[in-house]
Amino acid sequence: MELDQRIAEQLTEITLNSSMQIRCGSSNSFLVSASVIEPLINEFQMGGVYICASRPAPELIATFTEIGVPVGGVQFIDCVSSALLGGTENQYTNISYVDSPIMLESILLKTLYRLRQMPTEQNFVILDSVNALAIYNEERMLAEYLHTFINTFRARNILSGIVTVPDQTPPSVLANLDLYCTDLIDRGQVVIS
Amino acid sequence: MAMVAKLIAMLGTPQYTRDRCITGIHGLDEITRGGIPYGATVLVGGTCGSGKTTLTMEFLVHGAQMGEACAYFAATEPSVKLLENIRQYTFFDMEMVDKGLINVFDMDVLYSWLGLTKATFDRDDINSLVKAITDIVNTIGVTRLVIDSVTTLCYKIPNDQLIRDFLFTLGKTLATQGCTSFLVAEITSAGAKAHWSSFGVEEAILDGIMVMGDIDRMGHLLRFLQVVKMRGTDHSRAKYALELTPMGVMMTPMLKWGVDAT
Repeated sequence: MELDQRIAEQLTEITLNSSMQIRCGSSNSFLVSASVIEPLINEFQMGGVYICASRPAPELIATFTEIGVPVGGVQFIDCVSSALLGGTENQYTNISYVDSPIMLESILLKTLYRLRQMPTEQNFVILDSVNALAIYNEERMLAEYLHTFINTFRARNILSGIVTVPDQTPPSVLANLDLYCTDLIDRGQVVIS
Repeated sequence: MAMVAKLIAMLGTPQYTRDRCITGIHGLDEITRGGIPYGATVLVGGTCGSGKTTLTMEFLVHGAQMGEACAYFAATEPSVKLLENIRQYTFFDMEMVDKGLINVFDMDVLYSWLGLTKATFDRDDINSLVKAITDIVNTIGVTRLVIDSVTTLCYKIPNDQLIRDFLFTLGKTLATQGCTSFLVAEITSAGAKAHWSSFGVEEAILDGIMVMGDIDRMGHLLRFLQVVKMRGTDHSRAKYALELTPMGVMMTPMLKWGVDAT
């Protein structure tokens, strides 16, 4: 798998207190996520927290490792595996579990807790993805959450990235993302119907 | 002209603020705009599993870290069991107990030491209990105290008037000693129509009330804390989501569209 180098170039222009809207399509979301975190870890020597609401963390860690993205220094907040009996049994020690994507405040607090333990000075938070959270959470609550989420990390000088598949994101949530995020990485697919 | 001079004088006068007891608990000092007023007696009412014991123990740990002498009166579980449970948290260090900075007392031991073996307490029993607690506070120089729980203790007191007298006397005595105290109360519901305490009399007497409970969000319980009353300081009255991490309690404002207490 070849990572998108243009994303790495774009990241050089982004500051620590930026909040990135990471637009991708339904088929390239992993490639886009990997293309974002690889330079953050390897080039910028950052640590961070990766919130998995779309796929279980063990699956993601295995795939990142397979393509050579070193995620040992990244903490994962897994909102999926607790819903699968036996899903939390694995060898990874860098995963925290949240019972459900509906526990939005728990996700935020667990992220803040993990960030407090980070040995790295510069850190990132990736939320993957808004679409997965939208399955469980009502639109108004999700919009409110994103507002809190983005401002919480901006205030702490932590780079945040929110993965979204725009053509499957509720319009009001997408409008809020456009409003709150400072930067856009756009790899969304164009849907021709 | 005189009015203007008076107004200028008023604006120039610095606002009086009470000295604060910095709890050190993530978020709580912000909620109370700088900490709990020194010597306040605060009711920590909460449902089971809402984090009362962890929060109050963390309150003592932060005091001990600043060199303060602290006392924990355990009425709901034996001190050995309590310490075993609390040791899992990285904020807790058993050395604080060994050095005498955190002193844990079993209420059952205290009762038998005072000869309080009856099922219910009369006024004399209550007076001797208050005196015993006060003596401990004086002897050790306790500045932070927790009774967990005052509900268990109050079950032994036969009527509301005596409960009121007990809490009033205890609160007054502890305040005189400069001791900031958390009295834990067990409640069955933290919803809008709930009492903040078990007997309904504690809340009127004490200086502050913090409520801890759960929000049921589609079958998942999310812990919250809300400061309902705190004499002597401005404070937030919003609900805060609470998480028990190995480092202790962490809080964040609860989402407004997600608040629906059961």
